[in-house]
Amino acid sequence: MTHDLIDVLTGLSAGSRLHNLRHQREKVALATQGSYDSLFDPALEGMTLQERLLVALYACRLAGSADVAAHYLQRLQDIGVDAAQCAAADSGNPEQLPVGRVRAMLTFARALTERPVAGDKAALHALPAAGISTPAVVALSQLIAFISYQLRVVAGLRAMQLAGHHEESQA
Amino acid sequence: MSTIIASHGFTNASLEWEAWLDVIDLEQASADQITVLEESNPKAKTSDYYLFLAHQPAILRQRSAAFNAIMYAPGGMSRAERELGSLVVSRINGCVYCASVHAQRFEQLAKRNDVVRQVFEDPYSAGTNAREQAIAQFSIALTKAPNDISAASIVALKEVGLNELEILDLMHSVAIFAWANRLMLNLGEPVLPLTD
Repeated sequence: MTHDLIDVLTGLSAGSRLHNLRHQREKVALATQGSYDSLFDPALEGMTLQERLLVALYACRLAGSADVAAHYLQRLQDIGVDAAQCAAADSGNPEQLPVGRVRAMLTFARALTERPVAGDKAALHALPAAGISTPAVVALSQLIAFISYQLRVVAGLRAMQLAGHHEESQA
Repeated sequence: MSTIIASHGFTNASLEWEAWLDVIDLEQASADQITVLEESNPKAKTSDYYLFLAHQPAILRQRSAAFNAIMYAPGGMSRAERELGSLVVSRINGCVYCASVHAQRFEQLAKRNDVVRQVFEDPYSAGTNAREQAIAQFSIALTKAPNDISAASIVALKEVGLNELEILDLMHSVAIFAWANRLMLNLGEPVLPLTD
């Protein structure tokens, strides 16, 4: 069986009722995992893997999804992350980093995660001004938006799991 | 479109969308970029949105596969109800462009727009019956505070008759618009077609 991060993060084991239900929508499960794989492909053009994992960690943290954040923190620790950048993403803010790419990426992650409606042309144009190419801007935007999707799928499945346990205990 | 509704800055009229950075040039595009555009949406080759996202074709391929599977797969929750969930999310996130597109899709599928008018007016009280109200409430809750979604949130959907596959479909429809709205709101802007 291929690795499926959503199943891992929600603790869905093969053969369980909710796992079977989720995989009735197998195309969705495959494209969700495929999105994760493409967004964190080490060979992706324009952003380093460390930059992408920092953005993912920060976006999860801002959204209050501690357990999904823990996954990205673990991956950062596995590849050997810059301590100051990791601290900004994990417990600080972008402004504590020097002006540059990572600070600009985290600032954009905060805008998209917390107040997507406030986005404007100036916020987007701050990225090329920080030396980030257009393909990297696309990768960054897709990544932040994917995290907003991923953590809601995890939260929704967890709630379904709890509701299922509740029903079983009432039965 | 039978009736144009305009309320609180939202509309069911057709809108265009323009990117704030350079889109790919179809003349210079790789074969893979062209293929991904064709897989994504019938109008992708003339859409700034898809032409911008095509800078990263591998990511766009997976995003489009997820989006199309969530919104169009047969069975489970009706397509109109998935559109209702997406419409509510777009209204809450303030995505005028997405709200316009999915208001129109809802009306095409459901042959009515009463609940569209309600969602534009006040999403918190929207729904022409208990089932629609519960769909709207869940869509708002998962959008605004995903980590507060609980077993009770799921039970509320079951109480108005949703089965588990329908709940899964609704959850996916809401989550994919957390993704779509953020791109549409931050990479460009809706443009009104020329009118008198």
